[in-house]
Amino acid sequence: MKKSLSMLLIGMLLVVAVMVSGCADSKTEASGTEEIRTDELIAAVGTHGGEPESGFNPITGWGYNHEPLIQSTLFNRNNNAAFVGDLATEHSASEDGYTWTVTIRNDVKFHDGESLTAEDVAFTFNTAANAGGSVDLSMLEKATTIDDDTIKFELNDNQATFINKLAVIGIVPEHAYNEDYGQSPIGSGPYEFVQWDKGQQVILEANPDYYGDEPYFKKLTIVFMEADTAFAAAKSGQIDLAEIPSSYASQKVDGMKVVSLDSIDARGISFPIQPETGEKSEDGYPIGNDVTSDIAIRKALNIGIDRQKLVDAALNGQGEEEFTGVDKLPWGNKDAIFEDGNIDEAKKILNDAGWKDTDGDGIVEKNEVKAEFTLLYAASAQERQALAVSISEESKKIGINIIPEGASWDKIDTLALSTPVVFGYGSLDPTDLYLKYYSKSYDPSSYNNIIKYSNPTVDSHLRAAITNPDQNAANKDWQLAAWDGDTGFSSKGDATWMWMATVDYLYIMDEKIDIGTPKIQPHGADIFGNILEWELKGN
Amino acid sequence: MTTAVVNANRELFKGINLRQKTIMLISCLSLLLIAIVVSSAFIDENALSTDFESKNLAPSLEHPFGTDWMGRDMFVRTLGGLGLSIIIGALASSISTIISVFLGLLSSIGKIEDSIVSWLVDLFLSIPHLLLIILISIGFGGGATGVIIGVALSHWTSLTRVVRAEVKQIKTQEYIHISQKFGKSKWWIAKNHIFPHLLPQFVLGTIVMFPHAILHEASVTFLGFGLSPHEPAIGIILSESMKYLSAGYWWLAFFPGLSLLIVILVFDLIGENLGKMLDPKKAHE
Repeated sequence: MKKSLSMLLIGMLLVVAVMVSGCADSKTEASGTEEIRTDELIAAVGTHGGEPESGFNPITGWGYNHEPLIQSTLFNRNNNAAFVGDLATEHSASEDGYTWTVTIRNDVKFHDGESLTAEDVAFTFNTAANAGGSVDLSMLEKATTIDDDTIKFELNDNQATFINKLAVIGIVPEHAYNEDYGQSPIGSGPYEFVQWDKGQQVILEANPDYYGDEPYFKKLTIVFMEADTAFAAAKSGQIDLAEIPSSYASQKVDGMKVVSLDSIDARGISFPIQPETGEKSEDGYPIGNDVTSDIAIRKALNIGIDRQKLVDAALNGQGEEEFTGVDKLPWGNKDAIFEDGNIDEAKKILNDAGWKDTDGDGIVEKNEVKAEFTLLYAASAQERQALAVSISEESKKIGINIIPEGASWDKIDTLALSTPVVFGYGSLDPTDLYLKYYSKSYDPSSYNNIIKYSNPTVDSHLRAAITNPDQNAANKDWQLAAWDGDTGFSSKGDATWMWMATVDYLYIMDEKIDIGTPKIQPHGADIFGNILEWELKGN
Repeated sequence: MTTAVVNANRELFKGINLRQKTIMLISCLSLLLIAIVVSSAFIDENALSTDFESKNLAPSLEHPFGTDWMGRDMFVRTLGGLGLSIIIGALASSISTIISVFLGLLSSIGKIEDSIVSWLVDLFLSIPHLLLIILISIGFGGGATGVIIGVALSHWTSLTRVVRAEVKQIKTQEYIHISQKFGKSKWWIAKNHIFPHLLPQFVLGTIVMFPHAILHEASVTFLGFGLSPHEPAIGIILSESMKYLSAGYWWLAFFPGLSLLIVILVFDLIGENLGKMLDPKKAHE
């Protein structure tokens, strides 16, 4: 007893000591940033991806959704998300859309001096397809080489969105690839891998033989830290750039600026569409939810909740309201956006559908079923917690009781088929919509069509969109899937999800760093997407 | 510490004897704890709700403990967390006492029973305590129930040892032998000769176990097991506050930590004073 008491006292003292030293730090920090660092950048970024578990291996998911730095991809996206060739110089698809041919430049060398050839590209895609990593390559039959500079991709489904896959997978060298590739990767990208201290940092240096623009920062050190530690490190001048949570938005540090980047990274709630029938998935997890399977509940929430209020409150104003999950993208349907925060309309929808408050507790009921459900959020994600708690408070105003519950992803995986979850999605690849709403995409081993949605009209729009080689026409089809005037997956139609907001990504950085025009930020952000444009001003 | 308190009080309560003072001290402290539990049970849901207009406010008259990143009043949250902690502590220590009484008496029956009990105690002591709590709470499906069961099922070992030793000692007493010679049954002896001697041990053991259980509940929730991060539990409040130390929001850690410390000290004081009253050997101190 005595021992634990003294332990507690010591703990308290330590806390006080840390606080005092924290205050002291802020006074001396000014001298830290005065140092002239010319071409070295130390950054703590990546709250989403963080340190890649399986190393810097594109086959297992490194660089998916963000610039892989070490490797190069066939295509890049410019600031408007349009495709530009990186390794690729030309590409074409066959009439039927089942065969793609890509020509690559022939002057590219890996960091070890070997040339990058079509063999390496074919090897990368065949290996990635077999590995079943985080990039869905199920449509790829096989990749073969025609000559040293030309690759042929044979597909088993004429998906015109295949080009997106070519832009996310970094090319690995066939001669230097093995299971441990991710531990000491060799690529052809702007930065060369130097050293990885697991749990601490990865050091990259500029590739002198890089075929593209030369980066200003010759040495890039990415440290792995929790957001609050990163902030403290930035404050004390130990690092130049740190990703910070939105609750730190109002913090001021001398010699540093806070940069907020818009993103397309949307947060939404999945509503299981099927009623609870006792049906179980292959793994034995229950499917369906008796409350969210009623369209009136889903519509009432979508119409009754004031999204702007959620953004202002839960996200500290660091975000924008979101209605379809893809509002800001070319395939987002502007007609599916509506006036929200209409509590009277929401109550009317519930009332018309037979949901009435019979026991006077402020929560409506229908046939003995209470309008009440658990909302799961990843316990580690602060903005999801804030959104879940806020929406739970807001939903009481329309008579629906949402019980937020924080859990690990392992636990969420067992419940996601039967319980609404706060998810985050934001991809520049419209295939995301196909995986989310196409009825046959349902696959309990992934999050694809996790709500088990099935609407034949939406299916046909999605199918038309994914197979349409004309980008603009395809965008029109994607939009029709959200709302075609009659039905759709958006709130105006079946109200399958409750999209709430896109989140901004916040960074605190040395005020001399000029990050140019950042690219569109997807899920998990991609601040290094335009690293080649970065420089230090005043040097 | 107690003597200091008692000395300070000497001037104030001249006409009261030491025993009465101790009783007064115990009842005052108990009242404080009961007040915490009762008020935490009656916390209005609105008082715990978020108010993003007033987030990260430093302590003031309106918010004596300040507010957190979602604008929740930290005083109410701390109260809720302490209430939960005390309830978990109460459940855990009463369940543990029942288990130790049962096992302690079981070990007095015979040699085999005794070795089974010692083996069980050794088994539970050989696993690090915190790890054991986490294992049990995950085994029981996690959540608040998991934490309660985990804390409850892991604190009986030391009290069991004490009870076992006490029983062994009492059994060697002459009046027990005489009683046996007179033909009294084992049950009668246990009920009339052994149990009354054990009673102070149980009462004291329960109260001394309280702070242990509370600290363990706080550490488990601090590590992120059991409860959701938006629920008020003292460990969750403290672990969340760590994130804001670098932002300078000291009140998030200071007041909840101090409150926890005070609650623990109060239990310790109650235990110590109660010990003086119940234990004949210490009664005249």
